[in-house]
Parts: sequence; C-alpha cells; structure tokens
Amino acid sequence: MAKSIHIDPIATRSPTELASKRIPVHAYARALADEHRVRGADALLEALRHMMVIRAFESGIASLKSTGSYGDLTYAYKGPAHLSIGQEAAAVGAAMALTPEDHIFGSHRSHGEFLAKGLAAIQMLGDNALTTIMEAHGDGALLRTVETHLPDESGRGLAENFLLMGLLAEMFMREIGFNGGMGGSMHAFFTPFGAYPNNAIVGASAGIATGAGLWMKSEGRDSIAVSMVGDGATGCGPVWEALNFAGMAQFERLWDNAGFLPVLFFFTNNFYAMGGQTSGETMSWDRLARIGVGLREDACHAETVDGTNPLAVADAVQRKRQLLLDGKGPAILDVECYRFSGHSTTDVNAYRTKNEIAAWGAVDPIGTFRESLVAEGILDTATADAIQSDVDARMNAVFMAAADPAIAPPPGLGSDGAGIGRKMFTGSETPPDRHAPEPLADPAKVVRIRKNAKKSRGGRDANGELISPLKAITLRDGLFEAILHAALIDPRIIIYGEECREWGGAFGVYRGLADLFPHDRVFNAPISEAAIVATAIGAAMEGGRPLVELMYADFIGRAGDELFNQLAKWQAMSNGLLNIPVVVRCSVGSKYGAQHSQDWSGLAAHVPGLKIIYPATPRDAKGLMASALASDNPVIVFESQRLYDQVELFQDGVPEGNYKIPIGVPDIKHVGSDVTVLTIGPTLYPVLEAADSLAGRGVSLEIIDARSLVPFDYGPVLESVAKTGRLLLVSEACERGSFAMTLATNVTRFAFDALKAPPRVLGSPNWIVPGADLEHGYFPQPFDIEDAVMTDLMGDAGHNRTGSRRWDDLALARSGL
Amino acid sequence: MARIELRMPELGNEITEAQIDAILKGTGDMVSEGEEIVTITTPKVTMDLEAPATGTVLEVLIEVDDIVAVGTVLAVIET
Repeated sequence: MAKSIHIDPIATRSPTELASKRIPVHAYARALADEHRVRGADALLEALRHMMVIRAFESGIASLKSTGSYGDLTYAYKGPAHLSIGQEAAAVGAAMALTPEDHIFGSHRSHGEFLAKGLAAIQMLGDNALTTIMEAHGDGALLRTVETHLPDESGRGLAENFLLMGLLAEMFMREIGFNGGMGGSMHAFFTPFGAYPNNAIVGASAGIATGAGLWMKSEGRDSIAVSMVGDGATGCGPVWEALNFAGMAQFERLWDNAGFLPVLFFFTNNFYAMGGQTSGETMSWDRLARIGVGLREDACHAETVDGTNPLAVADAVQRKRQLLLDGKGPAILDVECYRFSGHSTTDVNAYRTKNEIAAWGAVDPIGTFRESLVAEGILDTATADAIQSDVDARMNAVFMAAADPAIAPPPGLGSDGAGIGRKMFTGSETPPDRHAPEPLADPAKVVRIRKNAKKSRGGRDANGELISPLKAITLRDGLFEAILHAALIDPRIIIYGEECREWGGAFGVYRGLADLFPHDRVFNAPISEAAIVATAIGAAMEGGRPLVELMYADFIGRAGDELFNQLAKWQAMSNGLLNIPVVVRCSVGSKYGAQHSQDWSGLAAHVPGLKIIYPATPRDAKGLMASALASDNPVIVFESQRLYDQVELFQDGVPEGNYKIPIGVPDIKHVGSDVTVLTIGPTLYPVLEAADSLAGRGVSLEIIDARSLVPFDYGPVLESVAKTGRLLLVSEACERGSFAMTLATNVTRFAFDALKAPPRVLGSPNWIVPGADLEHGYFPQPFDIEDAVMTDLMGDAGHNRTGSRRWDDLALARSGL
Repeated sequence: MARIELRMPELGNEITEAQIDAILKGTGDMVSEGEEIVTITTPKVTMDLEAPATGTVLEVLIEVDDIVAVGTVLAVIET
C-alpha cells in the first residue's frame, strides 16, 4: 500500500547532499590472452566471422543502392538502407553475452543487431532445436527455399542461410521474408532467436523493451530485455519515461517479488543523430552515460564502453545482465562506435569531415580485431582470408536467391486486392492456459462487490422511476464487473495506469480491485502515457494481456506514437506472428474545457489497426469490455465521464453473469419510422430526449447506438435507412473529419436510392471545447437535434428553431471553422 | 457544553448524495476530534467521515444503506 510509505517532513527537510555512483568510461582493460583463455579460440573466431557477415550483408545493400548491382546480382532495391557499417562490434559483442531467451528490441538501423543476435543464437541452440524452429516458421516454406536454392548445408550453416535469406527476403518484400514482407528493412525480426521487433521510430523500442521486462519479471523468467536504440534517442521523451518506469521504486518496495525490471538500455552511440552531433550540439550531456545519474543513486550502473571492440562490449553486457537478473536494474550502456556509412543513401556527409571518417577507419572494428587475433596467434592471415571468402560466397548466393522472384515471390494481395488488409486483425480469442492465483481476499467480502450485489440490475423501479446510481448498477459497475471477471480467471491480465490501485482510477472504475490483487496485477503507473502504452505493447508481445488506462482521451496525444505507430501496427507488420492483446481505456471528459473534454474516438478510428468501442449503457459496457479483454487484438475503449453514473434504461437489466457483446455491431435502442438517428457514445441520451419531444409532434425517430466504431457493421443502419429514408448522425466529436462523417459518406453511397434527404452529421463545432457553463452551446443538445431533424431531414421550412446553432457552415468553413 | 453536528459534506459539485456503508460509533460513545464515525460511498469513492469535535455521541440519525443528500445531519456530538 502506498500509505505504508510515510513522507516525514522532518527527515525530508533535513540538509544533505545527493551523491551518485561514479561512471566508468572505457575501463575495460583485459588482455586478449585472458579472453582467449576464458572464452576459447572458437568464440573469438566466431565473433570475427559474425562481424564479417554483417559487414558483407550491409556492403551488399550499400552496393545495390548505389550501383544497382552486388556480386553477380543486378537488382533495383527500392527500400530503405540505414546501414551500420562500422558498428558491427557493438552488435556482435552484445549478442555474445545474451542467450536466445534474452530479447532485443532494436532500431531502424538494426540489420547488424538482428544478424548478430541470430548468429549468436544459432551458435547456442543445438541442431535439433534449430531444425524445430526452422520447420515451425511459416510451415517450413523459408527452410524449403533455403534447402532447395542455396548450396547444400546442414546444421548451423543451414540455419545461417535461413537467417540471411529470411532477412534479405523481408527487405525485398517477399512472402518468405521473416515477416512476410510486411516489415521490411527497419522492422524485421525473428523471435525464436530472441530478436524482437525493430522499430523505425527513434527510441520507440525503449518502452516496448521495458514492457517485455515487466512481463519477464511477472513470470519470473531468467532472462532480460534489451532496448537497442541510438544516442539520438536520448532526446526522445518516451525513452526517459521508459528509463523511469523500469526503475520504479514500487518494484523494490511494494511488490512481493522485489526487484527492478530486467531491462538493459543499450545505446549504440555513433555520435550522430542523423546529421546532428549529439555530444557537443544537440544534447545537454557530454557523455551519454551521464544520464544514469539523473535517475538513480546507482546511476543505472551506467558505463561507457568501447563499441569498436566486441570483447569490451561482451564483458559489459555480461556484467549488466547479471545485475538485471539479480533485480538490480535497470542498466545503461553507452556503447561508443562509429558509422562509416551514411545515415541513408542520400547522406553526403555534410555534417562531418573526411579526416574524422578516416581516423575512425583506422580503428575499424573488423580490421583491428582480425589483426589482434593474428598477433595473438589465434588466427593466421590465410585462414582469415579464407573465412572472408566463405562469407562473401555465402552472401552472393543469398543475394542472388532472394532477389529472384521465381525463388522468393512477392506476397499475394488476394483476388480482391485486400490481402494486406486481412492481416490487420485476427478476430481471434485465446483463452488462458492456466488458472489465475487465488485472489488476496474472498471477492464476496469486498465492499464494492457486496454493495453491487444489493443493487438493482435495471435502472427503473416498478413504477418506472429512475433508481439512484447508488442503488442500481451503473456503467461504471458494468465495466468493473467485466474487468473483475476477466482478472479473476486470466492471470495474463495486468491492470495499470495513473491512480489505478488505491484510488481505483480517477473515476472509480477499479475501486475494490486493490483488495483482491497484488501489485503485479494492479498497480499505479507514473504520469507517463507513452510508457504506459509502450510497456503494455511489450508485455503483450511476451504473452501478457495488459489493460491500461489513459485518464483522459485528451492525453492520447502524449501516447501518440505508442497508440498509432506501435499498438496499431505490429499485428500486421509481424505478418501475424505477434498478437497485441492490449486494451486501452480512456475517458472522455466534460466541464474541464478545451484540453479535458475532447471526443477523439474518430482520431483513433482513422488509424488502421485499432478496434474502437464507445459504449453508452451499463449492459453494453460490460459486454463490450468482456469482448475487448478476450480479444487477441488491440482495443481502445472510450468512456464518457458523463455516463459513469448512468443506469440501465434499455434492457431489463445488466445480466449478473459474464457475457460478451460482439465488437462491431450497432444496436437499435428505440424503434421508429421517420428518421434514423445514429448516435456515438453519450449522444444517445439527448437524442432520447429529442425523440420524446418530437413524438409529440408526430415525428418518430429510430435510434441506433453505434457502440463500436471499428469494426462496424453497416447492416442495421442500412436496413433502418431503407425504412425511414432519412439519417441523422450525432456525435460529440468535432464535425470536421469525424467518424460520423465517414459513416454518413458510406450510408449515402450504399443507401442512396432510399434516401429522401442527404444524411446530416450533427457533431461539435470545429473550435475549442468551452468550460462547463458554456458546454450547452457546444455539445449537441436535444434542441439542436430537434432542429436538425425538422429542418434538414423533415424539410419543415416553418420549423421554429430553438437550438443555439444558427451559424452558416459554409461561411465558417471559409474561415477555417 | 455544545452540540456539534456531523453533516454529509460537499464532495465536489457532481456529488449530490452518498450511501451509508458503516456506522463506526453509537450513541453514548466517546469520540476524539478526527476519529472516524461513519463510512460513506459515493458513486466514485468510499471514505470515512471524522468527528468534528471531541465529546460524546448524542445521536446517530442514519442507518446503514441509507442514501443521504449533501448537508444532511448524520450524527450529533456533545462536547
């Protein structure tokens, strides 16, 4: 309990000084002879060979981009080429110290990291394990291709061909690529080797790796997660959020299984963030490792190490890994190295001198390491040359095969051209394969649950009078019941966000859960929306099913990348290898003005890859939340704060047991004949009021509650419009670009012949949400709805307008409104 | 000697009523200022209401599960 930590004003206000651990910089000084004795000659030779493989691979890409040919191949490679030529020792050194169960999450410049991790994993896994892995991937299609079209090899040689072909085919957007061609150069991954998604958004892997670490800790795994991002990522807010999240004090002080998250923040520091120089120009820090001091007394065990020497990197990663497994993380490594290649192929090195490039060329990691192995007598020049020739020959064969469409065809788009679209959602549910631990208390004895048991399930009494939300099940209770049920039976569900534990969420949805679940199931997150969503994604990639909360929908902006580029994308970008079962709750406020009252459901619906629900009744809230929590796909739940106390008016009551309402099916809430009104979220209630009033004037409304935005079954709406011939869409979102506009457009298209009038969207105007006292002139009110029905849809020229909307939409549009 | 009333407090302009969860002190009990007397639940939170003064509980005017409006006298304490 947070209350158990007493903040003592006397102790807090006593004078003291803060000191932090000193940060070693290039402290590695082990003699190669010692490394030789400890690691053996084979490991050192493999390190050299792996660096050569990465260099050859990326040189091939560089050659294709600049000359259109490489070796025997002529091919126009159209994709990106963010190369890491010169950085090979950093990648290979890290991989030497990691097991296949340790997971790396890399950057847009990750070919080297990916290959290094794969090559190291191939060394560590036995032939049987490798065969099983290769057979299992894509029903063995990639393995068959490699066996058929590349020189005859078995065991590790075969697996290396599999690794290289899987990556290159992915970059060439071929069906047998590791991710079916859906990821490409910057995103390729292959989880059986511990290489998790690489990310084209700078710094995005930090939060996702942290979430992976969260789930590894939850499961008590003997492994770590590695965020592999560049020095430029230290300028990204979400990276700082991730660093803080990984070291939250509660992991040590409040969780039963004490220990911080096992996350290594491995910064490949090549001194440049594209064309900006980090140290000296764009960053405050002088040495990257110094940022550890900003967070913790132990400085996050930060160290600067020599990224041109694989053994210096391996030594550091090995030591940090042990600290992380001991629960002493998170850890930061500043791995200094140099990128000889440009940021991309359009880079003309305007930001650095030839002298500087040449000076680093003199300490090229491959040449230097090769020479030191020769000097130590571990390798002779002839053998080194032979290794290089083998690598080049293998690479030539792989490039030839991957580019050949007869060997590696592009993915089919399906007979209707929507093949990629069908990768967006699985529509599947995967039930838990184990029981959840016993709750901390008997649920029946928890005050909230006891009180709910006494409440009326319906919202009206025998006389038809409304029942107080204190005595009837509300929308808040409906959400709670679905969440409680799921959390009790499914140990994969973890619940967090700001104020989620003792407070029960700012709007009390979770009140009572803290009595039942320990901190690893329900916890308070920092005010770090980016980290809240990013960690949920990482935990989901590892097998968890997080339910996270953004207190207000307006805070979606703070988690924009995480929601729109990460949560929405990885299902399809992984070609279905990953499910991202994350549920994000966000409330839509009111009374708090422009930054706390926006319905951004349409913004979320605009980005492909997210399922969106917006329930308006307790029964729908419970059933849709149950579906969201069972879904293997990401779901965003919009909840109107105005409706948390709403009791059930439409059904006999909210069923007590668990039930699911399918996502995507609108619901007819009131049958009518003259005008169909499709509502989104809380607008259902002012429309009901308007319907009562209009009935008195002989106009009958058929009211349909959208309930979901994505997916959306137009069937019930088209059927209704076929009957009424008129459609009004009411939403609290600003009209311009809103989801109601999308609905209106499609209904116009598919029901044109039935329409007696053009569909009308009644939303909020295209300006800021005013504070509480002026909201009636902003959100659609019953009078506004009546006006729209009578004038625009019923064509009653004599209608006496009573709403506040008397503006000219076309004139406003010319002014940007 | 004074009679001090414990009233259902204002809890923000959205909360108009609350339900009595538990009555922790009965008529005749001695209470100290700040000691919890009643537990209430609003739709959003559960909270304890504290004795406004030290003294003896003279009257308890509510029962468990009652729904009370803001401003309702819940108990009277004699100092």
